[in-house]
Amino acid sequence: MADSLRPIDARGPRFNQGVLTVALLGGFVADARLVVPAFAVVLLLGAAFGPRYGPFLRLYAEAIKPRLGPPAELEDPRPPRFAAAVGVVFLTAATVAFAAGAVGVGWALALVVAALAGLAAATGICVGCELYLVFARRRGVELVA
Amino acid sequence: MTLRLLIVAALLAAFVAFRIAYDRRRRRIASDDRPVPRLPGHLVDGAEATWVVFTTPYCASCGPVVDRLQGHGPVITVDATRDPDLAEAFRIRSAPTVLLADAAGAVHGRFVGAAAVDAYLQTGSSASERRGLARSRAERIG
Repeated sequence: MADSLRPIDARGPRFNQGVLTVALLGGFVADARLVVPAFAVVLLLGAAFGPRYGPFLRLYAEAIKPRLGPPAELEDPRPPRFAAAVGVVFLTAATVAFAAGAVGVGWALALVVAALAGLAAATGICVGCELYLVFARRRGVELVA
Repeated sequence: MTLRLLIVAALLAAFVAFRIAYDRRRRRIASDDRPVPRLPGHLVDGAEATWVVFTTPYCASCGPVVDRLQGHGPVITVDATRDPDLAEAFRIRSAPTVLLADAAGAVHGRFVGAAAVDAYLQTGSSASERRGLARSRAERIG
């Protein structure tokens, strides 16, 4: 099985989503706009190249996971990667809005990402993953199951 | 700054509320003791003991569970997202959930998660033993 299809510990993406939520909300309170493009890059690395290249996914795998018990569930890596790609699109659009002077629009887009990431981190309900499922089914993609 | 803090506080409150509602729902499902219906005949097909594995398309643990059940009797997989009515009738809330049914479709065992299936397979060897164990387990589940 290719590395990109190997089932992953579902707690890794949730940790990533938790960090993303905290960073975006903190950035919003402090009006630190650089947080938005920085996390667009963080998400892009994990989405485009896999968990080993996402800084916080790697932090989870190397520093946190060894201290936890084995995962109760594994999941197909593609839905969370797709969700991260959707996050990249939103955060890139937010960055463009900041650059164009539309600060309110920029933060609104970033807060959408923070809200969805926070929901996923708190409950495991991943809206982007569900979207992937809809697209995968339409295209007849076989998921890792 | 105050408005921003209020927005963040509202979002955090929403996360907490979602989490509480989510946990309550899971507890309610776990304590649901309504009688379990019989599985439809076309799934059990008259076999003495049939494993019915409820899966979802991106359940990575489901394939290995199906593989491990091979050799322990007929295995039927049901994609819960394609047959939501059946999944709801058996109150399937996560995948894999495995039901062990007899020839009449009566459910004698219910195993949620790969670890539960593994633990169960390690305790029973023959079909009759599996059925007996399943029955006692089902009784414990209530």
